[in-house]
Amino acid sequence: MAEEPQRPKGGKLTFEEALTRLDKTVQALEAGGLTLEEATRLYEEGMRLARLCNELLSHAELKVKRLQTSFGEQMRFLEEEHT
Amino acid sequence: MPVYTVSQVARYIRDSLDGDSLLGDVWVNGEVSNLSRSVSGHCYFTLKDAASQLRCVLFRNGQGSEHLADGVALLAHGRISFYEVRGDLQFYVDLAQPEGVGLLHAELERLKKKLQAEGLFDETRKRPIPRFPNRIAVVTSPVGAVWHDIRSIVERRYPLVELVLVPTPVQGASAAGGIVDAFQVLSEQEAIDTVIVARGGGSLEELWPFNEEAVARAIYGCKFPVISAVGHHTDYTIADLVADLRAPTPSAAAELAVPDRAELASQVLRLHRALLDYTVQDMSEKRHQVEILAHRLQTRAPDTPTRRQRVDDLLREASIRLSATLAVHQERVQSRSLRLEALSPRAVLERGYAVAQKLPSGEVITSPQQVAAGEALQVTVSGGPFKAVGLGQ
Repeated sequence: MAEEPQRPKGGKLTFEEALTRLDKTVQALEAGGLTLEEATRLYEEGMRLARLCNELLSHAELKVKRLQTSFGEQMRFLEEEHT
Repeated sequence: MPVYTVSQVARYIRDSLDGDSLLGDVWVNGEVSNLSRSVSGHCYFTLKDAASQLRCVLFRNGQGSEHLADGVALLAHGRISFYEVRGDLQFYVDLAQPEGVGLLHAELERLKKKLQAEGLFDETRKRPIPRFPNRIAVVTSPVGAVWHDIRSIVERRYPLVELVLVPTPVQGASAAGGIVDAFQVLSEQEAIDTVIVARGGGSLEELWPFNEEAVARAIYGCKFPVISAVGHHTDYTIADLVADLRAPTPSAAAELAVPDRAELASQVLRLHRALLDYTVQDMSEKRHQVEILAHRLQTRAPDTPTRRQRVDDLLREASIRLSATLAVHQERVQSRSLRLEALSPRAVLERGYAVAQKLPSGEVITSPQQVAAGEALQVTVSGGPFKAVGLGQ
């Protein structure tokens, strides 16, 4: 499995960093003038970044859903307590 | 026995009068006579009744000189002192009212003006009431409806708060002192967020402790913000004017002092909804961004078909070139092989030549000297070899 894109100093990319890098990668590909090797490397990097962005988003959405559920349960509990 | 100068005695009289608490702050009623107004705006007159009279002065900065006229029944406030220059005992009036006005009202107006001039009612000095208090001190009577009402309202609206009762009588002769003492107790406390000073409705006389100067100063000096709730709606006491916030009733004071938990809960729900809406929208915007970029990326995948075609083209060209080169070389080989053919010994033999060799060595004979008589030879002609014997030269 390919290595997850990381910051130059190491550590995981944030969503915004990954998105910025994805944007730059696409721009570099669109600018053209690349060797096949460079283009392939950029494409691979881009696909990896796009996948990372999707994963980070899915993770965040799941977290929001969980928090929402627990808040809803808490409010229900409070309402039951008061009625 | 000591002997005094007139000045010494006059000074002594003045000091004695000035040190007297009753004469320093006194209301007097009587009839005005011998009124004269000086060019500088001061009024000199005499107050008298059936038996006595009192020399009076109302300076230009005093209040109510318009009520002065000979024969008028007057209610006057001021202090009694001694005017040494003339050896006169004088009533220094600072407020004059027609006598028809009740004493309490007159006193109330006087105090209001005085404290207002001192800045005790300044709007700029009003402190905000904390929105989410932890401890509220209530200065009121431990008996009666006020304490009960405040407690039940606070418990219903905001049970998080701790109520501290600072008991004092709120009516009668001991009320003013009690209230002042209560604020003294509070001044030694820490960690109090709001003070409520409250009393139920009543007549002006019953509410009077809340118009006392000492009470006003106690409220003014309180280090915590004070909500006053004295009487009902229309009653406006000096305590109300000094307090940071005036509530129309004690129940209203309780409502102003604490937030309502039902309102807070619905506010939390509202904020939660807004938070959720924002987050969901933010996520979907971000996902859309990623999708757009991913799509652009897909369309920019390395162009392998074009490259592949180019490779194919090159290969085809190469193979054509190779075939041509091969043909050239084949041609050259062909021509050489023909020439070679022409040079082959077989072709020579076919023309009738023969090759003679010694036996058994196989040495090719190219000179007659090589052959001795009777020597065995092999001769090869076009049809094949045969044996022979040398006969000599």
